[in-house]
Amino acid sequence: MTLWQARVFNQSSLTLSQSYLQSVRRNPVQLYLPIAEIPVNIFVIFAMGGAVGFLSGLFGIGGGFLLTPLLIFSGIPPAVSVATVTTQVVASSASAVMTYWRRKAIDLKLATILLAGGVFGSLIGVILFDVLQSVGQLDLVISLSYVTFLSAIGGLMLFESIRAIRRRKSGVAPSARKPGQHNWIHGLPLKVRFRRSKLYVSVIPVVGLGAIIGFLGTILGIGGGFMMVPALIYLLRVPTNIVIGTSLFQILFTMAAATIFHSMGTKTVDIVLAMTLMIGGVIGAQFGARMGQNLRGDQLRLLLALLVMGVGLRFAVDLLLVPEDFYSIAIRKGAGA
Amino acid sequence: MIRFALSFAFAVFGASLSLAQEEASSKDLVTALSSDTVSIQSNFTGTEIVIFGQASDIERAPHAAGDFELAIVVEGPPQDITTRRKGRFLGVWVNREAERFQNVPSFYAVASTADIGDIAHRNVLDEYRIGLNHLNLAVSGVSNVPLSDRDDFRKAFVRLREESDLYSERETSIEFLTDTMFRTNIPLPANIPVGDYKIKSFLFNRGDLVSQTEQTLAVAKIGFEQVTFELAQNYPLVYGVLAVILAIFTGWLAGVIFKKD
Repeated sequence: MTLWQARVFNQSSLTLSQSYLQSVRRNPVQLYLPIAEIPVNIFVIFAMGGAVGFLSGLFGIGGGFLLTPLLIFSGIPPAVSVATVTTQVVASSASAVMTYWRRKAIDLKLATILLAGGVFGSLIGVILFDVLQSVGQLDLVISLSYVTFLSAIGGLMLFESIRAIRRRKSGVAPSARKPGQHNWIHGLPLKVRFRRSKLYVSVIPVVGLGAIIGFLGTILGIGGGFMMVPALIYLLRVPTNIVIGTSLFQILFTMAAATIFHSMGTKTVDIVLAMTLMIGGVIGAQFGARMGQNLRGDQLRLLLALLVMGVGLRFAVDLLLVPEDFYSIAIRKGAGA
Repeated sequence: MIRFALSFAFAVFGASLSLAQEEASSKDLVTALSSDTVSIQSNFTGTEIVIFGQASDIERAPHAAGDFELAIVVEGPPQDITTRRKGRFLGVWVNREAERFQNVPSFYAVASTADIGDIAHRNVLDEYRIGLNHLNLAVSGVSNVPLSDRDDFRKAFVRLREESDLYSERETSIEFLTDTMFRTNIPLPANIPVGDYKIKSFLFNRGDLVSQTEQTLAVAKIGFEQVTFELAQNYPLVYGVLAVILAIFTGWLAGVIFKKD
């Protein structure tokens, strides 16, 4: 962005904020959500999308694991939050996939096999989602899963980033991936050759990994990139230059499938909410990405680890503290459940 | 706008009143609504309806104060609603017991001229379901709630519905404009369920039901909200595919707009 462009941009954002203030004064900024059946403050939702988009651009993550809890904590029914964020993840990964597609940094064969597992996992996820909703344990499962996965992954990331920072400070070069290193996964049958990734592995762990991420993504309203990327690197040993594009490709289409399954199964995808989040998200992501270029990788990972653990902790507190109200009500079907 | 609607409603009401009197002079109670539909659009943040009426009996039979009392009930379409109670399980708070209330009103508001208990006899209030304590909260046969706790669940249910503004009791909120004409406002919150509402007005004389009227109010989404909702309900596959296309398009557009130079 040149200086001239920046100035023009600042001016237009100024007029935008002025007209926003006027509209606030004229009428309340409430927007009625047709599926959630509640009015929300459109600018609050837009800002949430923007803030999470900023962080996702900064850290190179999808941001679903931040956005879904944020929506739940702000009073959107959990079922609507989860289903709608799957749609938002489609939008946020679509533009990134295009970039990696142009750079040819996607292993299509690997992504397709991952995707097959992902769609299957997503289908199972929606079915389970429906069952949990009817027995009243959906919120519990969402909370428990968030606590488990976020604290485990956050902890791992924290550990890894602190080690990396220490290593950098003590001046030891990080050890590169050793070629020919194998683990138990490479002993499984049904091996397939992935030329782009220079891999020869069994399809079982690939389909399995896709299915797990698809399943969790559908139930928790997350893309799952923060689980997929380490799994591809450490378990399957996919080269790092291919990992992100391939993971994003898989997430894009798994979440597209999850959106359709949620629309048909739980009927809780709110298109108006999704649209507001998407627009906020894609704009925020641009600023985040620019800022991210000025920060060190290990510092970024440390910040991200703290963020991930923080969200997990928030869910844990809700589960452990004595609830303010022991009673809750739910309508059998639809958004209010 | 509201003032216009009100005056219009009064005019219509006056006309219908004279018509009603011509047709059947035996009618003791006549009521009219400020509007017979509530439309939910993207800017919907709740509204209120005004109910007007005339209780001609009051005029015909001179009475002591407190002889005649009115109650107006606004009832939303019935729903099955589950109430759950949390308990501690392995150190974590989880939903344990559940009670399912069948065919309970999704919205319930009652306005009256006096305290509900003073209006009529208990059995009459129960029969016509006037007042939050007189709702018929039937539970399903299958439940893990101990019998001794059933009442706690009923109370919690009504309390939670009150907290979300979907149930309300507005005692002494009916005001008299003349000796026989009255009006009351019933607020409808933003989270009201859609469907056909019933508005029932009751006139009591010394605790006996003298007359009653019933009207309907349609609460419906219109325009974009209606199209979206119906698409999601009736053609979920189309809705889902549309959501995906919209998302991919938005992502693509963002990629094009913010393409690095």
